[in-house]
Amino acid sequence: MAFFLSVSRIIKFSFQDIFRNIWLSVVTIMILILTLFSVNLLLAVKAISAAAVDTIKNKIDISLYLKTDAPIEKVTALKTKLLNLPNVGEVIYVSQEEALMKFQEANRKDPKIAQALRELTKNPLAPSLIIRPKSAEDFEPLIGELNRVDDAIIESRDFDNYKIMLEKIDAITKKVSEAGLLVSAIFILITLMVIYNTSRVAIYTHRNEIGIMRLVGASNTFIKAPFLISSMIYTLFSLTVVVVSFYLFLNLLQPYLETFFSGYNFNILAYFSNNFARIFGFEFFVAAAVNLLASWLAVSKYSNV
Amino acid sequence: MIKFKDVSKYYNGNVVALENISFHIKPGEFVSLVGQSGAGKTTLVKMLIGEERSTEGEIVVGGWNITKLGSSEIPYLRRQIATIFQDFKLLPKKTLLENVEFALQVCGKSMKKIKTIAPQVMRIVGLESKMHRYPHEVSGGERQRAAIARSLVYQPKILLADEPTGNLDSINAKEIIDLLLKINSFGTTVLLVTHNREIVNKLKRRVLTLNEGRLVSDQAIGKYII
Ligand SMILES: Nc1ncnc2c1ncn2[C@@H]1O[C@H](COP(=O)(O)OP(=O)(O)OP(=O)(O)O)[C@@H](O)[C@H]1O
Ligand SMILES: [Mg+2]
Repeated sequence: MAFFLSVSRIIKFSFQDIFRNIWLSVVTIMILILTLFSVNLLLAVKAISAAAVDTIKNKIDISLYLKTDAPIEKVTALKTKLLNLPNVGEVIYVSQEEALMKFQEANRKDPKIAQALRELTKNPLAPSLIIRPKSAEDFEPLIGELNRVDDAIIESRDFDNYKIMLEKIDAITKKVSEAGLLVSAIFILITLMVIYNTSRVAIYTHRNEIGIMRLVGASNTFIKAPFLISSMIYTLFSLTVVVVSFYLFLNLLQPYLETFFSGYNFNILAYFSNNFARIFGFEFFVAAAVNLLASWLAVSKYSNV
Repeated sequence: MIKFKDVSKYYNGNVVALENISFHIKPGEFVSLVGQSGAGKTTLVKMLIGEERSTEGEIVVGGWNITKLGSSEIPYLRRQIATIFQDFKLLPKKTLLENVEFALQVCGKSMKKIKTIAPQVMRIVGLESKMHRYPHEVSGGERQRAAIARSLVYQPKILLADEPTGNLDSINAKEIIDLLLKINSFGTTVLLVTHNREIVNKLKRRVLTLNEGRLVSDQAIGKYII
């Protein structure tokens, strides 16, 4: 009974403390919102770049070009061998004729090429095996494996271009992550300072009350808790605003992403919804911990009036 | 009720505020503590409510040794030893009654208890007709009475009054002293710190005199001697 009474009074005092310094509270909440929004923006950028990398990887076909006179049994044997490799997801045989058809189809609109093809008497294209990894992450080990495969019917293999390209993409992804980490760290530091200062000002405004509370024998918990609760209220309120506004923002963003990722199923809204508890729960815990730490530091330093 | 055993207090390790103070106040006594400015009177009061620690010696209150009190025990000490000051320490944006209720709220008392105790103590100090006024709407004497009302809400065993009449004219001062005597007659031990020669001489109660941090006199029916 006494416990719940105290809790409800502490919460009441927290709100008093928030409203008495309303402009300071507004600024604090704005900074928190800005911080949380930026962190989520970085998460979105990371998710989009990861999806972009996957799309690019999926669009790349790795081809093993075969000798034109390779007998079909040997091709099938090679196909089976390739399928047994751990990272291979799919192997498609493209015969000489199919290769030509595809080529014609792809260059249908170019009359010069069509003309040139018609003048040829012999099919200039080689049969090939198109290999797709089980997943985009398996791309690099797959290339390593394919380089080790040896068979007499293999005419040529040329994966180096892919490798360079992948390395470039990975470097960009890494840079994005690093920048995100740095920006997040800076924001956490700013939050720490802002909350510390807000608590300090709140304590200063309440110094008369705190003095009297001490005089009449209020417990330390009762004196300090409202400032900690206030910082929790700031955190909760800011995060709620961020969740709502961020979803609105993602809604606006999604159509553009759909054009960009055309033919590939990527939904940033779904990404955040599927990871809702993980993302926002984690953000809440980090923000709450940072804010509690900051207000606790301020309270222990300044509330002993 | 209050026992000082060879208590000394040095601020910052060298400023002597109190030196080798020993005395014993029995339950129900009314004791005046006098001395010139800087004699160490407020320091003595602060040590009794755990705001300052003695550098040497031992302080025992109601059998409770408060010399090495932990910070979590201090609130309980302050509910048993109430204090009033020259500057009243009322919250200006609360009415007199709300000021009293605040003291009960912050210690977790139930609404029902607050609603019975607060008007009750207002009646004891004679403020029931003005309890809904704000501090700036009443006289200094009435503010001090409200502060006394607030100090009574836990039925303290000891009431410390550090120059409670310092800001009051002689008529208001007399009323406050009479109120302290009335509270004393209920059984509360009162320690009155004062500069006022007239008040001390009229009281004809025990007087402790401090001079430059030392206890120079302890008379059963004392006069203001410095
Ligand atoms: N926080 C402090 N730090 C350092 N010295 C202090 C502190 N508080 C008081 N003193 C010194 O201790 C001595 C006693 O001070 P105290 O306030 O107890 O005097 P007092 O008898 O209450 O005086 P007054 O009648 O003016 O209120 C003085 O010399 C004062 O300067
Ligand atoms: Mg003093």
